[in-house]
Amino acid sequence: MRSASRDFIRPNRFIAMAMVVVLVFTGLTVRLWDLQVTSGTHYRDLAEQNRVLRLAVEAERGTIVDRNGKVLARNLPGFAVTVIPVDVPRAKQVELATRLGALIARDPKDVSEAINVQRARNPYEPVKISLRPVARDVALLLTERGEMFPGVRVEAESIRSYADAVLYSPLLGYVGPVTEEEFAALRDKGYLQTDLIGRTGLEYEYEEWLRGQYGWREIERDAAQREIKQLAYSSPTTGNSVVLTIDDRLQKLIESELKKGVDQDLFTQAVGIAMNPQNGEILAMYSNPGYDNNWFINGITPEQMAQLNGDDRHPLVNKAIGDIYPPGSTFKMVTGLSALNEGVANRNTIVNVTSNVLSVGGFNFYDWRAHGSLDFVNGFAHSSDIYFYTLGGGNPNTGRAGVGPEAIFKYGSELGFGARTGIDLPGEATGIMPSPEWKQQAFDEAWTIGNTYHESIGQGFVAVTPLQLLNAYAIVANGGTFYQPHLLKEVVGPQGKVVFTQQPKVVRKVDIKPENLTLLRESARRVVTIGHAFMPNAKLPIAGKTGTAEFGSSAGKDTAGRNKLGFHNWFVSFLPKADNTDPTAEIAMVIFTFDSSRSLCENCFNPAVGMTQRILESYVLGAKP
Amino acid sequence: MSVKTLEMRRSSASPLHDRPHERRLDQVDPYLLIATLLLIGYGLVMTYAVTVESRTLTGDPMQFVIRGALWAAIGIAVMVVVAMFDYAWLGTFAPLVYLVMLGLLGVVLVIGTSSLGAQRSVNFGGLSFQFSEVAKVLMIVVLAKFFADRGDKIGSPLTILGALVFLGPAVLLVYRQPDLGTSLVFVAIFFGMAFMAGARLWQLVGIIAIAGAAMPAIWSFLKPYQQARLTAFMDPYADPQGAGWNIIQSLIAVGSGGPTGKGLTAGTQSPLGYLPIAESDFVFAGLAEDLGFMGAVILFALYILLLFAALRVAFRARDPFGMLLASGVVAMLVFQIVVNVGMAISLMPVTGIPLPFISHGGSSLVSICFALGVLQSVAMRRPGAEIG
Repeated sequence: MRSASRDFIRPNRFIAMAMVVVLVFTGLTVRLWDLQVTSGTHYRDLAEQNRVLRLAVEAERGTIVDRNGKVLARNLPGFAVTVIPVDVPRAKQVELATRLGALIARDPKDVSEAINVQRARNPYEPVKISLRPVARDVALLLTERGEMFPGVRVEAESIRSYADAVLYSPLLGYVGPVTEEEFAALRDKGYLQTDLIGRTGLEYEYEEWLRGQYGWREIERDAAQREIKQLAYSSPTTGNSVVLTIDDRLQKLIESELKKGVDQDLFTQAVGIAMNPQNGEILAMYSNPGYDNNWFINGITPEQMAQLNGDDRHPLVNKAIGDIYPPGSTFKMVTGLSALNEGVANRNTIVNVTSNVLSVGGFNFYDWRAHGSLDFVNGFAHSSDIYFYTLGGGNPNTGRAGVGPEAIFKYGSELGFGARTGIDLPGEATGIMPSPEWKQQAFDEAWTIGNTYHESIGQGFVAVTPLQLLNAYAIVANGGTFYQPHLLKEVVGPQGKVVFTQQPKVVRKVDIKPENLTLLRESARRVVTIGHAFMPNAKLPIAGKTGTAEFGSSAGKDTAGRNKLGFHNWFVSFLPKADNTDPTAEIAMVIFTFDSSRSLCENCFNPAVGMTQRILESYVLGAKP
Repeated sequence: MSVKTLEMRRSSASPLHDRPHERRLDQVDPYLLIATLLLIGYGLVMTYAVTVESRTLTGDPMQFVIRGALWAAIGIAVMVVVAMFDYAWLGTFAPLVYLVMLGLLGVVLVIGTSSLGAQRSVNFGGLSFQFSEVAKVLMIVVLAKFFADRGDKIGSPLTILGALVFLGPAVLLVYRQPDLGTSLVFVAIFFGMAFMAGARLWQLVGIIAIAGAAMPAIWSFLKPYQQARLTAFMDPYADPQGAGWNIIQSLIAVGSGGPTGKGLTAGTQSPLGYLPIAESDFVFAGLAEDLGFMGAVILFALYILLLFAALRVAFRARDPFGMLLASGVVAMLVFQIVVNVGMAISLMPVTGIPLPFISHGGSSLVSICFALGVLQSVAMRRPGAEIG
């Protein structure tokens, strides 16, 4: 029996309910069609972007070694601290930053700020927090007490390390992180935001060779950025090794002599460069003061930076190429060659130096003594100023003509003064090779005979880098070829194969008669045997020329309390194969001391001479490893 | 016992409850049963797909599948047993049912365990129960009884207000857990049942209007994370790494599934943890990613079959109580499906409502099975379904 009344069934409402069901599912289906069928490909791409992460695999930078394979710059394994912002609870960020900042010696505010910046950029990707490599015990603490450091990761990183840092820093320079602005330009060359780039020195010069090529790997990652599996891998390529022409043994011999002098405050700065005149290879290049380039690798502290900037000797400048000085008597070589080649003088040209002063036009021009009658060789050997005043500017009192400033300019330029040598280092200075035209332009003044006299003995306007001076003597020593000085010997690929060999590069054959160069070599040898740079118990046929230039004040002390002495001392030398005048020298060297003691020079014991003798004798005759 | 006797007993005045074994099981609604079993099966497949390949879950991944199968077995058993009893018993004990419901919700607040910032479940013998899932079904029973008893005064405002008085404490208790989503399910059940009971439309519209006017007040009452979810729903890309993240990741999962899906367990969004609570709240996104538009449409088809079968049960019910029970279940299911699926495809704000049958969770499945058992009981006892 059926229930009589079915009033409680309201068909309209049932129809409404059924329509609600139909409409609801129609709506959902339409939306799904739109998402999955119409835009499916778009969302599939997004899902892949979620899932797949392409990570760079760091490539080792190539090493830098000396000509015998001694490693000067290498890579050490180290640790870096990174933070993944999404894993750092916001409430704990300040606490974490404080804790982490204390461990890695960074201001907690900076740590927190770095996390915030990355949080805004991409909170799922790690940001490097440590500015400098992290000590092993800190790295261990961070990994073992992970629960105290949410979101913190310790990652292996390769750290540039310089052996004999202070010794080689003027040459090698250092690497540093690329800046945001640089990155914009370097990105296409395959640099990464966290990349290092050669900042100065050879690291800068040979960036392209040294730099490795990043590999990459594609990983599948989960939402917490954990790596699930590796999808693809391409291995990195290590950078090439750069082999230098430098001989570490010679470099250290030069250092041992020059550093001693600076340490004893005999002089405040010093440069020593050695090169092979036969091909332009630089065998040693020393500049004191240097700096510890590992400071820059490890993140230089404000105190260290202040120390470097506060030193008025400018330790960051490589004095061998980066600063210019009056060459003093070493420049008499240029005056002499000019006079010889222009026919104004020959080996028998006599000047009677009967007084130590030459008076011209009411001005007095001094010599260091009254030498008496001098020919070319003796004039050079005894470094007579009046002899070279006469060769350069003549003597109006007797009507004798000199070679003149235009010729000195011509030959000085020919020998490389007043222009960069083109050595493979950044920051080379140009120097000044003056001429009457130059003076007119620079000072709006006419050239005087006094200018010629001063220039003739390497004073006045002329200013050179130690390398330019060495290079000029190397041209004399090899018989007239200007080889471009260079530090690169060869480049060795990661598999040990030589991929590039630096060939000697001839800049020019100088326009000077060979017999004049021979006479110069003979005269330079006489400097050592009978003259200004006498070497007792000499074991090698060293030839060379001294130079002394007075400058500024010789009184007081500099900011660091060092004596200000006001003298530069030069000795430029070359070593022929035998005691003759043949152009066979395979070593030429310049030793330059800055702010040397006056007393060292009054007796003309130029400190550079003794140093040169000791260095070359030890290098050539001493035990080779 | 003969059919005649039964007929006579039914027609007599006093409580007319038949005994369990007096109904033949072949009187069950076959469409409802088939849809139920297929959906349970679909749910197990998805539990397998979402958990077995998960690289973010620790422990034995199969444990989810085994537990899901266990719950399915319990659910089916509950459904069978409930179907055998006359649903009229529920009406008889409606006051008790109401007290039990409030008790369960109260217990959750007192001894419940916290998970994801909300106190929603009670651990009991190693199993965790979400009593609010059961409470929803019990609320349907209570409201069905209330509306059925006031069948002749259904147009009276007092009927609606009375129903709200019963509803209020339950909604507040659930909201306090806090579980805004489930408390909204209670509200949806109320509207659905009141509508089917024949309540005046202007009264229902009036309530909605009042609630709408009170929105600013309700807004300030919401917890910050709930507000964030609503603003994120309006514009997920305003905070793509924060509140909008779930929505965006869910859209990516669904969209990347394409027409036919990436293949069961071949999805990436869900196993790699880009979908939060991938086995429950965002299970639809995982389904749509693995099985694509096709898989979603098959799911919808099964839901439609189930819902229309349930509506037919309501339509053919013996009495208003049975009709309202079925209607309440339909309202509950439709609302949960719309909100859960809508959330996955950014048509609804994010709320933690499980997707019926598909979301992994014993409390939800057993509660639904209980409700469908009641519906089968209503179906089996419809006029004309008697033996003979």
